[in-house]
Amino acid sequence: MAAIKNSKALAALTHAALALPGVAAAEVQTDYLYSFYQEKDTPGSQTSSGQSVERYQIHSHMFRAVMPMGENTLGANLTYETMSGASPWWVQPDTNGKPVNVMSGASIRDERVDLQGTWSLPIEPFQAAFSLGYSAEDDYEALNGGAELELRDDERGLTWTGGLGYSDDQLKPEHGTSSPNVIDSESKSTLTLYGGAAMVLNAATVVQANINYQRGDGFLSDPYKLAWIGGSTVADSRPDGRQSWALSGKLRHHLASSNAAIHVDYRYFHDDWEIDAHTLEVAWHQVLPDQWRITPALRWYSQSQAFFYAPYYQAARSDGFASSDYRLSPYGAVSARLDVSKALENLALGAGVEWYDADGSYALKSVDVANPGLVEYLSFQARITYRF
Amino acid sequence: MRFLHHPFHALGGPCSLQLHAADAAQLQRAAAAAEAEVRRIETKYSRYREDSVLSRINASAGDAQGVTVDAETAALLDYATAAHEQSEGLFDASSGVLRRAWDFKAKQLPQQAQLDALLPLVGWQRLLWQSPRIVLPLRGMELDFGGFGKEYAADRAAAVLQAAGIRHALVELGGDIRVLGPQPDGAPWRIGIRHPRAPESAIATVELVGGAIASSGDYERYFERDGRRYSHILDPRTGWPVESYAGISVLAEQCLVAGTATTIALLKGREGRDWLQELGLPWLLIDAAGKLEGSLARA
Repeated sequence: MAAIKNSKALAALTHAALALPGVAAAEVQTDYLYSFYQEKDTPGSQTSSGQSVERYQIHSHMFRAVMPMGENTLGANLTYETMSGASPWWVQPDTNGKPVNVMSGASIRDERVDLQGTWSLPIEPFQAAFSLGYSAEDDYEALNGGAELELRDDERGLTWTGGLGYSDDQLKPEHGTSSPNVIDSESKSTLTLYGGAAMVLNAATVVQANINYQRGDGFLSDPYKLAWIGGSTVADSRPDGRQSWALSGKLRHHLASSNAAIHVDYRYFHDDWEIDAHTLEVAWHQVLPDQWRITPALRWYSQSQAFFYAPYYQAARSDGFASSDYRLSPYGAVSARLDVSKALENLALGAGVEWYDADGSYALKSVDVANPGLVEYLSFQARITYRF
Repeated sequence: MRFLHHPFHALGGPCSLQLHAADAAQLQRAAAAAEAEVRRIETKYSRYREDSVLSRINASAGDAQGVTVDAETAALLDYATAAHEQSEGLFDASSGVLRRAWDFKAKQLPQQAQLDALLPLVGWQRLLWQSPRIVLPLRGMELDFGGFGKEYAADRAAAVLQAAGIRHALVELGGDIRVLGPQPDGAPWRIGIRHPRAPESAIATVELVGGAIASSGDYERYFERDGRRYSHILDPRTGWPVESYAGISVLAEQCLVAGTATTIALLKGREGRDWLQELGLPWLLIDAAGKLEGSLARA
């Protein structure tokens, strides 16, 4: 047999052939993703001790395998994460009334294992997908399941999608120096319903609209966080129900002249804790010669605060709720991301970096008192895909 | 280990499946599923059925809105685009309209004026393909998956057999072959390559333990007139048959790639030999005198 020269023509034809459903059917696709997430230290000016404190970092490893079996496709995902560092315990006023963080101390160290299985198959006239997952940490256990149906209307260039998901979570917080009086065990459940439609406007433009409803019930507070009320601290306490709605629109436009595509995504979120949020993301996908692709993206986010949130309280609320969690505070955030990928014959490689900064000044409406716990982070991701 | 030979007729020619498995019921089930897959592809991409995906695309010719296609069709159109690029425009799934001028059954030479009228409708570069929407901008343009549909079906049939647990099989669709593993005893499948001038006899034998072999030549559809041979291998730029080799066979992992390489090499005419050498896949050329040349190992 002649030595395989692996010419460009052969690589191009093989690449296109393997993209066909089932031509690579015998082949199993496997992926490995590594990501590293590091929050910026909280400066001394924002902590009660006056010392800067190292915050959260997460190392995440994900293994994924997708195996087509005739018309069925089976998938499995295994994620292993280690988290460590300090996070805001509570917020209290300093001598000038400025809110400062009391940090949990670098005592948090946790591991998370998450296993997800998916099964997709055609159920005429739909394409259906089912999923089941289990996630465990030292102090947390969750079981989730989901179902999704997709219907294509090729005549009108429409694709309809609808689905539901359910998650049942058990919390068993650990007692520690930063959590001496924590609850023993609690549970919560989350139901998600969603639907959407994608429509092809013309050869170069696709638009998509989605609606999402979520309902959480049970213990929705953070067992490790406290709130400061008039000189003493109480456990973080939130309503035991939360309903949210989200509307999103996506635009994908291909620019043939520059061999690139622009993606514009907008999302509006509202919940019955009175948080309103807007997200706008713009990404440019540039295809380069030799199967390279580069994607710069920018995102802006803004939210209003939950009705019961305050950085700290002078007096207890009549409804008994109290939370100083920065995630319920009014703030805005910007992020910039750059992703590069390269496809080889059976192999694809990719890497990306993201910088994110949350601050009161990025918010849509002016924020009087920004939460001192708002994060700035850098995250790095590398991934490899292999088909065999 | 039991054996099943399952012949059937599809894609305008004889097809056959040869498979080995421990269980007779499994053999029957697998063969039926693979045949059904071939028929599914035939139905979906048939030019002769009004309800086929291909007919729907062709019916939209001249409509600036075009039609949207499903993921499988999209991947096939991407494939056709890649083949068009890699052949520098010779492999062209829009060249089927030339059939309107070439009648191989009636052995009629077309008038140059007929070809001149059709050539503006030929050219993959003229159509607008942006997944999932395809636009054939000119009325009368049409696509034809005949140049790769059969090979794709062979790959798909093999995938269906594999999914059904079959580890030893040979799929043959009208002369194009894809095998799954060796024979149960580990011996390779022995495949005869047709003599271009004596189609019932083999001019060479090739051994395969996996992958595919596709063969094509001037013997498949042709007529002779005034001592000249006019074959179905039409150059999409001129509309006239290419003077090429009598037969070409190429071996590849996928039947689709093997078939495309064979077609492109034929369309390249006398340059086909250099192109194959450059491509790097094992190849075999047969000239009109029956002389063999190539890197393909013969048994």
